[in-house]
Amino acid sequence: MAGSSVPPVSLASPAEIQSLVTRAGLMLNPGQMADLVLAWRQVAALIAEMPRDRGFEDDMALAFRLPPPAPTPPPTLLPHGEATDNPAPPRKRAPPKTAAVRTAGTRTTPRS
Amino acid sequence: MKSNVRPFLSLADAARLIGSRQLSPVELTRALLKRIETIDPKVNAFLLVTGQRAMAAARAAEKTLMASRATDHGSKLLGIPLAFKDIYETAGVRTTAHSRILIDNVPKRDAETVRRLREAGAVMLGKLATHEFAIGGPATDLPWPPARNPWDLRRFTGGSSSGSGAAVAAGLALGALGSDTGGSIRLPAAYCGIAGLKPTPGLVSRRGVIPLAPSLDTAGPMAWTAEDCAILMDVLAGHDPADPASVAVPPTEFARAIEPSLKGLRVGMLRRFYEEDVPASPATLKMMANAARVFKDLGCIVRDAVLPPVRDYNGVGRIIISAEAYAMHEATLKTRLSDYSRVFRIRVLAGALIRAADYIAAQRRRTDLIAATAEPFRKFDVLVCAPTADAAPLLSEQRPDEGFSRPFVTTVANVAAVPSLVVCGGFTDTGLPLGLEIMGPAWGDATVLRVGHHYEQATGTRDRRPQL
Repeated sequence: MAGSSVPPVSLASPAEIQSLVTRAGLMLNPGQMADLVLAWRQVAALIAEMPRDRGFEDDMALAFRLPPPAPTPPPTLLPHGEATDNPAPPRKRAPPKTAAVRTAGTRTTPRS
Repeated sequence: MKSNVRPFLSLADAARLIGSRQLSPVELTRALLKRIETIDPKVNAFLLVTGQRAMAAARAAEKTLMASRATDHGSKLLGIPLAFKDIYETAGVRTTAHSRILIDNVPKRDAETVRRLREAGAVMLGKLATHEFAIGGPATDLPWPPARNPWDLRRFTGGSSSGSGAAVAAGLALGALGSDTGGSIRLPAAYCGIAGLKPTPGLVSRRGVIPLAPSLDTAGPMAWTAEDCAILMDVLAGHDPADPASVAVPPTEFARAIEPSLKGLRVGMLRRFYEEDVPASPATLKMMANAARVFKDLGCIVRDAVLPPVRDYNGVGRIIISAEAYAMHEATLKTRLSDYSRVFRIRVLAGALIRAADYIAAQRRRTDLIAATAEPFRKFDVLVCAPTADAAPLLSEQRPDEGFSRPFVTTVANVAAVPSLVVCGGFTDTGLPLGLEIMGPAWGDATVLRVGHHYEQATGTRDRRPQL
């Protein structure tokens, strides 16, 4: 298991938030900064509440699948039965099966 | 071709009348453009009305209709006037996302959904108001005013598909496209007393729809009835290789699939959602109790069902939306910050401070919630709840940090990646609509539409329209 002891995000002070804002490359006036402090405290509370008791092995959220490779043409045989690296004339490729590609957020079947 | 246009028509009724040559697409479009001219200055549903294009499309539809055999014109959407939330790209027609940032944006291509609707013969009336870039709330510091609720112009439409909800409820369009990342189709459907479907992710293409948070974004229909939404889904659903989340599922005939009775259907009432997690008003509780009775009368097996707390889904949803929306807008926020509305900045800027580890923790937690949500669907065909605690609040009561300070029941379906339909569940004593939310298992879109359709038929909620 991992992560269950991760400390929650602290509800940062305005000075700490200013430091984060500077690091993010944002230029905020005092009114915008006050709005951000209000919003960030609410987001930080949501982050702090989120359970993190998942195991290292249980990491499917970021999994994705590539589409299967296009069919490889069979090697061309020379008259005396040896294979050659010279490929056969190119075949028309099958359209990619994009149905197999899922983003992290679209997996819909439960895991056992 | 007759030209007498009734003031309010459902999409399905209009399709039947057009199909039987009792209604002219040209006259229908002309009547709706006239109604928009009269009513929309009060409702603010439209950012742009494309009248000339609409009339040209209506004339083309009528020509197709007249050239075809009696019932064989091929599409129920032929000559049907629709409008699109202004985050759907429309070739040659300004698409602003209700923002100064895109005020001069004229796309070269239609969104895939728009393309499908045009190909089916639908008529585009114009582009509809939204919360800026489909997030936030009603803003008064943007070039266009926020939409108003047709049932009471002092009230909020819900959002972010605010113009879509207002236009359909006011009878300015027979259907609309909305988008839903945390409830943006279903909240305006609830407050405006219409039907709105957030489809299973991957069922409807998002190509050409300006993204908010791609992990959770869905595109879907909004219309007067569930049947109307089913007719729209017959055209909207389908694999699109250009949307990486699109899934090639076997086609469904939604409009046909909603017909069979609900006898024997297993309905789970998410009672804790509306009694404890987001406590509902007395009017909403009364509507939910009535809904349970209606489902029993329709032959359903009705039991209580349980899902994880609404707050769990909302935490995950808010973190993902904030982080992804900030990432989408980072470059522009750094250069044109003051061109965004204050409410947008409040909702999105906090995303700049979210650590990658926290964002990934939210995505991992989401997979747990997807699995936990799938579990009750072993015992139930649909789960039912109230999408909002009460009827539409006053616009003046809306706080800019509303999205964080109150949990949204609707976000459950986004995080859980399941289809969810809101229909009009009933009315308050003062005549404001109350929404009813029906969730299904992944790919159970036809089932939730079927349940919504029979509920509407049984309760007669579709007989009442706002007085404008």
